[in-house]
Amino acid sequence: MSDDRIDPMNLTAQLHYSAAGNPPSTLPDSAISNAFPGLEFDIRNIWRRLLVGIELHESDNYVVGADPEHERLVGRRLLSVGDHDVVGALVGPTRPGSGSSRLTSADNPDGVTMLEWSNSLADVLADHVGQTVPCLFTSGPASKPVGKPSSLPDPRFEVVQLEVRALFAKSGTTGGDLAVIAEEMAGPGDLTRGLCSPWQNDYRECACYYWAASRPDYVNVEDTAAGTTTGNHWFAKDREPREYVLDNRFDSRLVSYDDLFRDWQGELRFIVDGKDAPEYRETEPDGDGR
Amino acid sequence: MTAARLFAESVPVHPDVHLLRTDAGPRVLIADGSRLFGVGQALYDRIDAARRDPDPRLVDSLLADLGLDAPRQVDDLAPDPPPVRALSLAVAQKCNLGCTYCYAQQGDFGGPAKNMPEATAFAAVDTLFRDAGPGERVNLAFLGGEPMINRPVVRSATEYAVAVSRRTGTPVTFSITTNGTLLTPEDGEFFEAHGFAVTVSLDGVGARHDLLRPHRDGRGSYRRVMDRVAPLLAAQRRMQVSARVTVTPLNLDLPRTLEEFTAAGFHGVGFSPMLSSPNGHGEMASRDLEVMLEQMTACGEEFVRRVLAGQRYPFTNLVTALREIHRGTHRPYPCGAGAGYLGVSADGDLAACHRFVGDSDGAMGDLTTGVDDAKRARWLTDRHVHRQEPCNGCWARYLCGGGCHHEVIRRGRPACDYIRGWLHHCLSVYSRLLAARPDYFTG
Repeated sequence: MSDDRIDPMNLTAQLHYSAAGNPPSTLPDSAISNAFPGLEFDIRNIWRRLLVGIELHESDNYVVGADPEHERLVGRRLLSVGDHDVVGALVGPTRPGSGSSRLTSADNPDGVTMLEWSNSLADVLADHVGQTVPCLFTSGPASKPVGKPSSLPDPRFEVVQLEVRALFAKSGTTGGDLAVIAEEMAGPGDLTRGLCSPWQNDYRECACYYWAASRPDYVNVEDTAAGTTTGNHWFAKDREPREYVLDNRFDSRLVSYDDLFRDWQGELRFIVDGKDAPEYRETEPDGDGR
Repeated sequence: MTAARLFAESVPVHPDVHLLRTDAGPRVLIADGSRLFGVGQALYDRIDAARRDPDPRLVDSLLADLGLDAPRQVDDLAPDPPPVRALSLAVAQKCNLGCTYCYAQQGDFGGPAKNMPEATAFAAVDTLFRDAGPGERVNLAFLGGEPMINRPVVRSATEYAVAVSRRTGTPVTFSITTNGTLLTPEDGEFFEAHGFAVTVSLDGVGARHDLLRPHRDGRGSYRRVMDRVAPLLAAQRRMQVSARVTVTPLNLDLPRTLEEFTAAGFHGVGFSPMLSSPNGHGEMASRDLEVMLEQMTACGEEFVRRVLAGQRYPFTNLVTALREIHRGTHRPYPCGAGAGYLGVSADGDLAACHRFVGDSDGAMGDLTTGVDDAKRARWLTDRHVHRQEPCNGCWARYLCGGGCHHEVIRRGRPACDYIRGWLHHCLSVYSRLLAARPDYFTG
C-alpha cells in the first residue's frame, strides 16, 4: 500500500469514507436517486432487467427490449407482477377547491400512472426472487398508459410467466449473497448512464424538488398594499417589469435551455437574501498592499 | 503476539482512534462507528503523533483532513426504551448442581427454591407478544437455576408461544441454557421440532469440568452431561447445540477444550471469564486473564488455520467478533439487558436480565403491572457507556459496550486489559482474513 492511500476495510468504514476529491454527494446516504435520476447513480436502472427475458424502461412500465423468445412483448405495457400492481389510479383535484376525481386526458384515457419501480418492485424482489411469477401485459403495443382490466381473462391482456432475478451477485466461492449488484441486473455503466446534469437542464426543470432547496425561484420579492407580492422569476432575462412570468420553456422572456447550455454562468445571477446580488466588479488593489 | 504484548499494544492512548500493526499492514480504528481503515506507514505515523499530542483537537483536524471524519454515530442521549422482544424465564429457581461460582447461588438466587407456575409463564408469553408489530420477531428463553427441573412448564410455555405466534403472525424463536444433566432424547426431539438454540454449560473436559460443576453431593457431572447431550448433538438440524465454558483459574486449557467440544459436534463453543461470583470463588485475577488471553489467541490461530483451509471451526467468541467488526457494530451498551431483553423470575417479577432475578438493582416491574418503562429509561441513561469510567477514555468502548452490567455493578471492571487485548487480536485476525479469504465475510 502506498504511503498516502487509505483503504476503508469494514462496512461502516466503506459507508462513511469520503475519498479525496469526491464531494459529499458521492456517499450513498446523501443520494436522492429513487424516482429521479440523481447526481451520483441512477438507481432506477437496477430494475430494468428484474424479469428474465425482457427489459423495461427505467421510468415507465413499458417493454423496451426482449430476448427472441419474448420479442412479441416489446412495446407492450406491464401491469402487474404476481400479486403486485405496477400501475395505480391517478386521482386529484382539477381546480383549486374541487374534490378529487380520476384524472384522465387524451394522452392518458384510463387515468393511471406507473408506480415507480423502487416501490412497486421491491416487494416482488422480496417475495419472489428466483421464482417464476405470472406477469400481466397488454396484448399489443401500447404507447399510452393503460389501466388494469376489472377481470380476467380479457382479450386485451395477456399473462406471461417470467422469472424474477436476484438483485445481488452471489459469491463464486460460497454461493452466498455479495453486497454487489448482479451484473445481469445492471452492467458496467448502466447505473450512471442517465444522471442529472444540474448545470444544464435541471436548472430549469428539476422535478424532484432537489434544486428547489438550494436554488431561488421567486426573487426580488416585495409586498404590495393589496396584500399580494411582486417579484421576478429567477430565469427572467429582464428584472423589469417586476412580475412573475409563469415557467414556460418557450417564453422568450425567460432563459431557455439553449441559453443555459451556452452560458449558464453568464445568464444566472447570484441571489443574496432573496435579491439579485450587485454585479461583481473587479476592485482596484489597495496601494498599501493590504 | 503474546498476551503481554497485546496488553501493551492495546493500551488506550486516545479515545477516538486506535492503531494496529497487523500482518496485513498498518490499520486505524476510528472508535465512533467502529470504522477500520488500512493506511500506509507514513499516515500511521502522522495519526500516531496526533493521538499522542497534548492537544486532543489535533486528532479531529487530522481525521477531517484525511476524510476520516463522519457524522457522530453514538451520542450522549440514551434511546427511549425499545419494545421488549426477548424474555428469559427463570422457570426453575433451583438446581441439581453445586457450582461454587454460580451467580444464581446454586440456582435459587439466595432465596427459597421454587418453580415458575404455568400461569406465570403464559403471562410472560402474553407480555412478549403483546406489542409486537408486523414483521417483528420475538425470542423466548428458558434459564434457571436449571430449567429442565421444570420440564412441564418449558414444554407448555413453548407450545403456548407457538400457538400465539400462529395466531398473531409474529415469528418466535426459542433458546434454553441448561446444565445438561437432565436432558432426555425426547427433550432433544422437542427442541429440534421447535428449532431451539440449546446452550449447555460445560467448563472443560472430564475432571476439569467435574471440579467446577459437581453434583450437590460432590459427584462429577461431566460423563453424565456428555452422555445426555449426545443424542441432541446427533439430532441437531434446526436446533443448534452449543457449549458455554465459564473460565476460572482452574480450567484455563482452552484450546484442548475447544478441540474436544468441536470434535463432539457442538455447533458453537464460547468462553467467558468468571469475573464476579457471589462469594468470590473462581474469579479471575489479572494474571489469570493474561493466561486466558494467551489461550484465546491460540484458539484464534487454530481458527485462522481452519478458515484458510476452507473449514468451519465453531470458536464462537471469534466468529462473533469478526462478524461485528466486519459490520462495524457500535453500541453504547454491552447487550440488550434492561432494553429489549428482560428476565422473568419464577414469581413473575421482571429484571434487567436473567442475572438480576430477585435483585433490586435490576428490577423492571412485574407481569401483573407491566414493564416499568420509567425504570428502563433510568437504566438506559445510567448504563450508557458515555457515563461509565474509565470507558470514556477507551477506544474499545463501542465494541465492548462497557462490560456485563451485572459483573460491573458487582465487581467493577477488572478485565479491561483482557477485553482490549482480545479485541486488538480480533481486529488483527480480521485484517488478515479479509485479505486472504474475503469470501469468509461475504459468503
